[in-house]
Amino acid sequence: MAFGLLKYGFRKRYPAKPQFTPSGTTLKKRYDVVIIGAGAHGAGIAHELAKSHGIRNVALLDKGYLGGGNTARNTAVLRSNYLTEEGVAFYRQSLKLFQGLSNELNYNIMLENRGQLTLAHSDAAIRSFRWRAEVNQHLGVRSELVDRQTIRELVPQLNLSEDVRYPILAGLWHADAATARHDAIVWGYARSACEQGVELHQRTAVQAVEVTNGAVHAVKTNRGRIACGCVVQAVAGSSSIVAKMAGIRLPIHSYPLQAMVTQPYKPLLKPHVSSPHLHVYTHQTSRGEFVIGGGSDPYPRYGSRATLEQKEALSSAILQLLPFLAQAKVLRQWAGTTDMTPDYSPIMGLSPVRNYHLDAGWGTWGFKATPICAKTMAELVATGKPPELIQPFALERFYRFEQINEAGATAAGH
Amino acid sequence: MKLLNCPLNGPRNIAEFTYGGELRPMPDPAATDAQQWAEHLFFPDNGAGIVTEWWCHTATAYWFLAQRNTLTDEVIRTFPPSEVFKQGRKLAGKDGGEKS
Amino acid sequence: MQASPSATGASPTAFQRRSQLYRRHLDLDAAFADYEGVLAVAAYADPRVERALAERLGLADLSTWPRSGCAGPNAPQWLADAGRQPPNRPNKAVAQEDGGLIARLSEQEFLILQGLEADPGLFAALQGNWPSDAAESVHPLPHADSHCWLALSGALASEALAKLCAVDLSSRSFGLCDVAQTSLARVNAIILRQDLGATPCFHILSDASSAEYLWDALVDAMREFGGAPVGLEALRTLKLRDRPSESFSPTERHPRIQPRKAP
Ligand SMILES: Cc1cc2nc3c(=O)[nH]c(=O)nc-3n(C[C@H](O)[C@H](O)[C@H](O)COP(=O)(O)OP(=O)(O)OC[C@H]3O[C@@H](n4cnc5c(N)ncnc54)[C@H](O)[C@@H]3O)c2cc1C
Repeated sequence: MAFGLLKYGFRKRYPAKPQFTPSGTTLKKRYDVVIIGAGAHGAGIAHELAKSHGIRNVALLDKGYLGGGNTARNTAVLRSNYLTEEGVAFYRQSLKLFQGLSNELNYNIMLENRGQLTLAHSDAAIRSFRWRAEVNQHLGVRSELVDRQTIRELVPQLNLSEDVRYPILAGLWHADAATARHDAIVWGYARSACEQGVELHQRTAVQAVEVTNGAVHAVKTNRGRIACGCVVQAVAGSSSIVAKMAGIRLPIHSYPLQAMVTQPYKPLLKPHVSSPHLHVYTHQTSRGEFVIGGGSDPYPRYGSRATLEQKEALSSAILQLLPFLAQAKVLRQWAGTTDMTPDYSPIMGLSPVRNYHLDAGWGTWGFKATPICAKTMAELVATGKPPELIQPFALERFYRFEQINEAGATAAGH
Repeated sequence: MKLLNCPLNGPRNIAEFTYGGELRPMPDPAATDAQQWAEHLFFPDNGAGIVTEWWCHTATAYWFLAQRNTLTDEVIRTFPPSEVFKQGRKLAGKDGGEKS
Repeated sequence: MQASPSATGASPTAFQRRSQLYRRHLDLDAAFADYEGVLAVAAYADPRVERALAERLGLADLSTWPRSGCAGPNAPQWLADAGRQPPNRPNKAVAQEDGGLIARLSEQEFLILQGLEADPGLFAALQGNWPSDAAESVHPLPHADSHCWLALSGALASEALAKLCAVDLSSRSFGLCDVAQTSLARVNAIILRQDLGATPCFHILSDASSAEYLWDALVDAMREFGGAPVGLEALRTLKLRDRPSESFSPTERHPRIQPRKAP
């Protein structure tokens, strides 16, 4: 082992075999499909196009680097205890796919089936949890209301004192919830796509979209024009900006979402714990760090700067749940720009421009949707028809006043 | 903490304020169809750059306007709504629509 | 004319209007008094102790004390016609002849606080005079049920407030009759400065529904400075005095600041 490492270290070429399209590869004049945005979603769609539909003349473009957007910044919570039928059906399917993803991609996505405990600090929250548990169970998701004794058993470290501003009254236990390594997902997908002939072009920003007679036929990038038969935009926080290039308006506000991690500790907390009331959630990563996130910033902004206010808010909230973290040092902090829709549901499917498809509005919750979104969006590209599972999420729903109100289920669990 | 200069109360911590959305003209209800209402209600401009938007100082419930760069979060200017709504904000009624 | 407590030892539950904080006062064994129909805490302890406290750092609950307000384009004129002196710009207050205070909260909104010595009955005269005609362009904003009213007095008051409020309320930037509408202990508050004789005093009006929270937060913030609740009588005696009493010198008694040695 040590010898192998040494030999590897002295090798002239590094790494021995490139996993992705080598940088500097020239752009072709034309691709069948251009995917704007090489986050987990874009990479996943590329993989599915190649693998399930044999569509390989695909360019996966990113203005930055592979997975450097929200995929790199997200806290990797995978769950399906949503509140609408459409939402639960969709995310449940996604969680199933995560279970087999390491095998499918031959890449360890470090899936941890840890379960999620959401805390109620008020009667109103208990009522809404009861409702959620009923909806979830009806749709085949493991989700149940639990009392303080069960909470104590699930997470003995929690501060269950009644002498605090918001004592913990009950919880919603979601055994299906998990976490996965965020980078591994996008790297695994992109490697598989590239192996099958997809070209990944990093530092290639789309600057304009050419639309004639209502159909897209090319994009302009900082490295030149690319003709294409079809475009998928999967640019998360930049959704409004890119859609505007194609003349499409989106029902999106871009808000920063922040998170931070503490120094590593020995393993002591297994489930993911979230408190919508205190606007905070946490779990201990496989590196031992406590990753801590919460609600969105109070006003829209493009950019990835973290603020002192949010760190104060997250710290004071998490100390109410896990007082021992008072000694912890914050190692890293960051923000991502999230594309928030008015109904907290995503936008997937056709757009007013022919052959221009939307994968947007993922806000603070889109990482968990990656595998199912990749599958369904690839099918849309291949067949021109949105699969049934994503039909309710079409942009058109806003014109029909048929929003899918997911607001109740997302407060501080993403 | 970041400061915002309230035209009524002076510079205050940003935590004292509530964001109120982009400044945009209100459609005339008499001449607006469902599609236009949907666009007005759900489809913001969400611009990246300098935008004009509503803010409210919560302690006084005072609404005002701000020009802010959404890329750098720099506030260029804050000003009272009377600068834009010279005749006051009127809901559409007998005299038809918004004065602005 | 000063209203004197007609029935010390009055029971709060016998009154229609009580402060949201009356249970706190009962816990502190307060002596309540009836000020011509208005129930208030006269004192919690010996009057001399309370006076010293009020000069140092005292918190009084004036939530039942009369106050009112009005708003509308015509409000300044209406107040002037009623013989009052409205301030000429927002976030300023003007002391009235009867000892009360009128604060201008915005171009068109005013808050009227009854003086601590005045006869509460007199206030009713103004209340009864509100225009009923919409054409007058002024309407009443009573503030009596919506807000609690606390007074924080004493040489250390602005230091205690600095722990809870981001606006600089020290004498060098917040003068007599200045008004700040801001966040105090994370709840909205109107803060007005009206000194009692030579003792700084801040009136605080805040949402009645979080009165107990704000009271507790203030009492907690005052503790490190040796402050405590005081009754209305202590504030009234301060008002009559124009110099601090001999025994008290703010810098010497500050628990945290050492007096500077002479070179
Ligand atoms: C702090 C934080 C925590 C989160 N936690 C969770 C969570 O626990 N669970 C969950 O499910 N979701 C979570 N999310 C949401 C999740 O991160 C996103 O919904 C998801 O990553 C979106 O993936 P994506 O591939 O669409 O976007 P990204 O990963 O953002 O990829 C978009 C890419 O598009 C590129 N791009 C933009 N404009 C252009 C252009 N003009 N030309 C070319 N490329 C362009 C960007 O560079 C970027 O790499 C969180 C988000 C944040 C910020």
